[in-house]
Amino acid sequence: MSGDEKAAAAPRSLAEALRQRDDASLAALLRARPDLITPVPTDLTQLATRAGTRASVVRALERLDRFALQTAEALAVAGDPASYGELLGLMAGDDGDPEVAAALPRALGALRERALVWGADDRLRLVRTARELLAPSPQHPSPTGLGPTVQEATAGMSPGRIQEIVAAVGLPSTHDSVSAVASLTALFTDRERMSALLADVPAGSLEVLDRLVWGPPYGQVTADPAPRLRLLLDRGLLLPTAPGTVVLPREVALHLRAGRAHRAPEPVPPAVTASATHTARVVDATAAGQAYTALATVEELLKDWDEGGPNVLRAGGLSVRDLKRTAVALDVPEPVAAFWVELAYAAGLLASDGEVDERYAATPAYDEWLELPPADRWARLAQAWLTATRTPGVVGDRDAKDRTLSALGPGLDRSAAPEVRHRVLALLAALPEGAAPDAESVLARLRWERPLRGPQRTGDHDLRTRLARWTLSEAELLGVTGRGALSAHGRALLGAGASAGASAAGPAAPGTGAGTDAGAASGADAGRPGPDGLTAPGPGDKLPVHKHHPHPPHPPTAEPLHDPAPVPAPPPPTAPPHDPTPAPAPLSPAEQATATAAAARLLAPLLPEPLDHVLLQADLTAVAPGPLRRPLADMLGVLANVESKGGATVYRFTPASVRRALDAGRSAADLHAFLTEHSRTPVPQPLAYLIDDVARKHGHLRVGAASAYVRCDDDALLNEILADKRSAGLGLRRLAPTVLAAQADPGTLLEGLRAMGYAPAAESAAGDVVIARADSHRTPPRTAPEPVPDGPPAPDTPLLSAAIRAIRAGDLAATAPRRPAAADPAADGEPPRTSAAETLATVQAAVLTGETLWIGYVNADGAASQRVIAPIRVEGGFVTAYDHTADEVRTYPLHRITGVAELAEEAAADPS
Amino acid sequence: MNGPLIVQSDKTLLLEVDHEQADDCRRAIAPFAELERAPEHIHTYRVTPLGLWNARAAGHDAEQVVDALVQYSRYPVPHALLVDIAETMDRYGRLTLSKHPAHGLVLTTTDRPVLEEVLKSKRVAPLVGARIDPDTVAVHPSERGQIKQTLLKLGWPAEDLAGYVDGEAHPIDLREDGWKLRPYQKQAVENFWHGGSGVVVLPCGAGKTLVGAGSMAQAKSTTLILVTNTVSARQWKHELVKRTSLTEDEIGEYSGTKKEIRPVTIATYQVLTTRRKGVYPHLELFDSRDWGLIVYDEVHLLPAPVFKFTADLQARRRLGLTATLVREDGRESDVFSLIGPKRFDAPWKEIEAQGYIAPADCVEVRVNLTDAERLAYATAETEEKYRFCATTATKRKVTEAIVRRFAGQQILVIGQYIDQLDELGEHLNAPVIKGETSNAQREKLFDAFREGEINVLVVSKVANFSIDLPEATVAVQVSGTFGSRQEEAQRLGRVLRPKADGHQAHFYSVVARDTIDQDFAAHRQRFLAEQGYAYRIMDADELLAGEA
Repeated sequence: MSGDEKAAAAPRSLAEALRQRDDASLAALLRARPDLITPVPTDLTQLATRAGTRASVVRALERLDRFALQTAEALAVAGDPASYGELLGLMAGDDGDPEVAAALPRALGALRERALVWGADDRLRLVRTARELLAPSPQHPSPTGLGPTVQEATAGMSPGRIQEIVAAVGLPSTHDSVSAVASLTALFTDRERMSALLADVPAGSLEVLDRLVWGPPYGQVTADPAPRLRLLLDRGLLLPTAPGTVVLPREVALHLRAGRAHRAPEPVPPAVTASATHTARVVDATAAGQAYTALATVEELLKDWDEGGPNVLRAGGLSVRDLKRTAVALDVPEPVAAFWVELAYAAGLLASDGEVDERYAATPAYDEWLELPPADRWARLAQAWLTATRTPGVVGDRDAKDRTLSALGPGLDRSAAPEVRHRVLALLAALPEGAAPDAESVLARLRWERPLRGPQRTGDHDLRTRLARWTLSEAELLGVTGRGALSAHGRALLGAGASAGASAAGPAAPGTGAGTDAGAASGADAGRPGPDGLTAPGPGDKLPVHKHHPHPPHPPTAEPLHDPAPVPAPPPPTAPPHDPTPAPAPLSPAEQATATAAAARLLAPLLPEPLDHVLLQADLTAVAPGPLRRPLADMLGVLANVESKGGATVYRFTPASVRRALDAGRSAADLHAFLTEHSRTPVPQPLAYLIDDVARKHGHLRVGAASAYVRCDDDALLNEILADKRSAGLGLRRLAPTVLAAQADPGTLLEGLRAMGYAPAAESAAGDVVIARADSHRTPPRTAPEPVPDGPPAPDTPLLSAAIRAIRAGDLAATAPRRPAAADPAADGEPPRTSAAETLATVQAAVLTGETLWIGYVNADGAASQRVIAPIRVEGGFVTAYDHTADEVRTYPLHRITGVAELAEEAAADPS
Repeated sequence: MNGPLIVQSDKTLLLEVDHEQADDCRRAIAPFAELERAPEHIHTYRVTPLGLWNARAAGHDAEQVVDALVQYSRYPVPHALLVDIAETMDRYGRLTLSKHPAHGLVLTTTDRPVLEEVLKSKRVAPLVGARIDPDTVAVHPSERGQIKQTLLKLGWPAEDLAGYVDGEAHPIDLREDGWKLRPYQKQAVENFWHGGSGVVVLPCGAGKTLVGAGSMAQAKSTTLILVTNTVSARQWKHELVKRTSLTEDEIGEYSGTKKEIRPVTIATYQVLTTRRKGVYPHLELFDSRDWGLIVYDEVHLLPAPVFKFTADLQARRRLGLTATLVREDGRESDVFSLIGPKRFDAPWKEIEAQGYIAPADCVEVRVNLTDAERLAYATAETEEKYRFCATTATKRKVTEAIVRRFAGQQILVIGQYIDQLDELGEHLNAPVIKGETSNAQREKLFDAFREGEINVLVVSKVANFSIDLPEATVAVQVSGTFGSRQEEAQRLGRVLRPKADGHQAHFYSVVARDTIDQDFAAHRQRFLAEQGYAYRIMDADELLAGEA
């Protein structure tokens, strides 16, 4: 390959590094980061640019497993470029850690493959965007808990202060700050000299450092620090960042941590442990039983919705009330009901009917589905479940706009769902047969494979953890697992390769997880030692997707460790394809179909054989000791009410249920024959009696619709009418010797009979003869139209006098001569304005003297008016007064009175 | 997988009786599942939290329960159900009631959050005293029953280790001369004694009184027996004198007429629940002696006020006896929580198979109303409808025909409505026993009936319970208390006492067709049908024609 020729030229940029990679390795990159080829980049430079964009890098980082991410984080705090040795030191510490050392090449390989790291092992470079994202900064503390380097921390420091520090730690002073900082850094990174330096530091000060060593590296100090802090600050072991804040420089922290960037590197994925082990037979049987229940439940659900399902909400989805009702009908909790509804929807068995009054209903596909053998029916559900992105688990949550998410409604898609489901099942498949996993260990494993970046959220609330929990419970409901363990047919769902590869490696096999394991293309490769002697057992939980990539195994990165010659750093040409973890569907549709069919074949013999008989008992119950053949079940479902469900079905016969069967067109003889045929035991006499009793009464009364009737005491006359051809259009039918029913309305019937030469009389509802009158057509009660007069009506006397009184009072108010004493700057006719105190005093005085006042007043609507009042009393902020304007006693809030003025004596004495 | 048991999702268990493993399975599930229905082919058991907790109390653990289900189940048992059972059983015993040397009755926990949870409940707060330490709280001794009942409702049943008072000792022995306790009676006494307190369910006529006597002989202490009425009290006394070492002087009667308190005292529910000026004056009976055992006869009739008194008696041993633990008021669970769990239950058909109760032929005779009656029925007021159809004249003819058919045998005619009974008495020329009949007169008539001097006796519902009529072989029911299931069972019980010659008993229920009488009859028969008594249905015309 071309790598040999270009070997000497170390790449100087990511683009160059990519250029040196071969097609297989580029393909692996694009598979791992499919966002890079949408749209397809024009050249490698553009590819490199795109691979360095923030969004793409974030996406790539989020898809790393925990160890690869830790490796990237370590690179972010290492020098740029860093050597492999430096990185190993950061990951494994000064003392070394064989597990880390073993896992690191793999993790680095993953980073390289994803174009997050480039360069040879002596010059490893983390792409700049990733470095910015992962490097510690005061705003985004790194998960490593490390602070800035000495160089960064001293950036703004005065040269004099730096020289002081240099002197304090016993270094020779230099001529500029840059070299001073460099010598300080050199000191801090030299383990021996540093140890010697720290040996002189008193215990109290070391304790301070200990508090900061694992982060966060920032501490608060007062303006006048204690001596033990002073000492640290003097020697540069703590550096000030802002007034009152100090930071532990990265070099110092690393020294104290014995070189480790992470307190707890996690090179090995946590093992999925089994909480219980059942025999495979029990697991398969339980799962099969549950699978049958799943089919029955879906059938029951759609049968329940057969005659018009629930309405579709305007925003889409099922109302909470309908979900509740469905849950009650299925006798399951609401979240489980939501699961069944969503499952049927995902399998295309139910949908909205799209009518004006939109309702949910079964689709034609449902009828086809019903015709399938049970195992195939299950396979259809299982496949729909595996690949669906809709997640019933979030039903009842609230979306970003605080709207409740409803079952069958919008906003239920979680694109990670199929991948998590597949992953969880794959983890279960890795356990020995019949072992039920400890749910927490499954969740821990998933969290390791896809850690959350940023502050570690350990709660259960992240989506992947919730999805995994739902997967475990849904798999049980669907019968993919039984007693918590993956069943044989559940295993088959994962595809042919899954079971073989998985069980070979066992649950605790170390590996970097599905995201990064490159070495083992299948279980068979797992144990083979790589060229560097590194034994790389394959992870036990590999995704089966590898099976169609027959590449020879090749550990991606190990060579440089042993061969420092300028071997091209990128993964070797034959680098195995990496698992495209982000791929939403872990199996291609065709593969999935094959796998599902295989699962169905495994399941089929386990499903209970439908029975063709029931046991009838004298307490009017029938017990079907197992699932029934469909026609039998359908018929019994009509003839009796289901009392209890499960492995068996208990039916109870009631008069109503028997009547229902008769209404459905069965005769009593049919029912007897049916019961005799399908009962293993003689039909109990009370049951036979019940059927006869109901049948005897059934249809005794007949109900039909007629528009009119003809009644006549003379049979012969009615015969004559019926025989008359002209009566054909009237739709006559003889109900009794003396009664004909007609489909025509009474008017038409009368006309028709008259036309035939008869003289019929109309009859009222009470049976009286209706005397026909010429125009008896009436409207419903109506009021006569109101006249629209030209002007207002002539006023009557009381109205007039009231009007005049009002006019006069207003006039009085407007024209009353004011007392000159009143300080009233307002012009005549303007309402007075006085201060609140003045108003109160004037009004109180008026109460005592009985004077009449002129006030300006603002009513509750804010309209100003003027009134003439004679105050009676003032209390609690209100004035009670006789209002001359309104001619009654009223109460005014004082604060609404804008002003007050006294009236001249003569005016007050002469009210209208 | 071909077990006899089918586990349903509603936690009922269906047991196929004809299966070869049915008996083993029945034994395995009996400790935790209640027999709900026992018709001919498939018996229904129900797994309830109460049943599971009782099983825990009796020393069974969740693993045994799960094993029993898995072993005998025909189909795989849903995982969720097994988990649920284990979780339910795990709730028992987190709280215990025990005697503390210093603080008296205390509630302790092994799981502190549970104690915190129950103490937060408003209903528990008034029942407990001071917190002694984080895991222990004092309980007022008088609230022992109340707190157990409340905790049960909260789903955290308390294990009661506080024990029982022995009561005042009094020598009582069974005098087994010429008779012995039957095996199932012995078993019932043992189960009861082992469990401390509880309810024994036996069919009518299967000798519940002897279970009471056997328990008294175990307790050997003063005993208070609560019965439904005075006649029943006399019969208890009679039986005790006959079967035990007790003499007439040692047994007191505490009823409306007599107020004797003796080492063994028989009181009626009625006198206990008599209320004067808002207080129950006869309540002190419970405290009048240091009773070592309290027997509740016909516990399904326990009146509501007695429930409350019983709650205060948790330190004494309690034995409930009944044939039909079905209450139309649905308070069965109160009986269980206050008197104690079901300690023994024998299906009627099983006892019948052992020959201790007579086999019975149950027939429902359907009579047609005449056209005139139908019209009248249709127009009757709702509350009068049942009375109207239940007392139709046609029933009289049918009853007469049945009585004629079994002429010479001992026949009881049972009904609800006095005027109907009077009329029947007149036509059948038989004496009528009703509410107004004096006790002396009743006993005289019963004696005459027993001696065979009278063949036909017409009785109202006063004779529903505990009247011992050994030779009644035919019962004709013409009307009843609406749809009461236990009344129907009790009435059938009148004819179930084993006959000297082992012949079959007959139970006729005369029902008016197409009326609510028929609906009520269907409901009434449900209990017996579930016990495996298959009713035959006959047309009245058929019966009358057969006679002609």
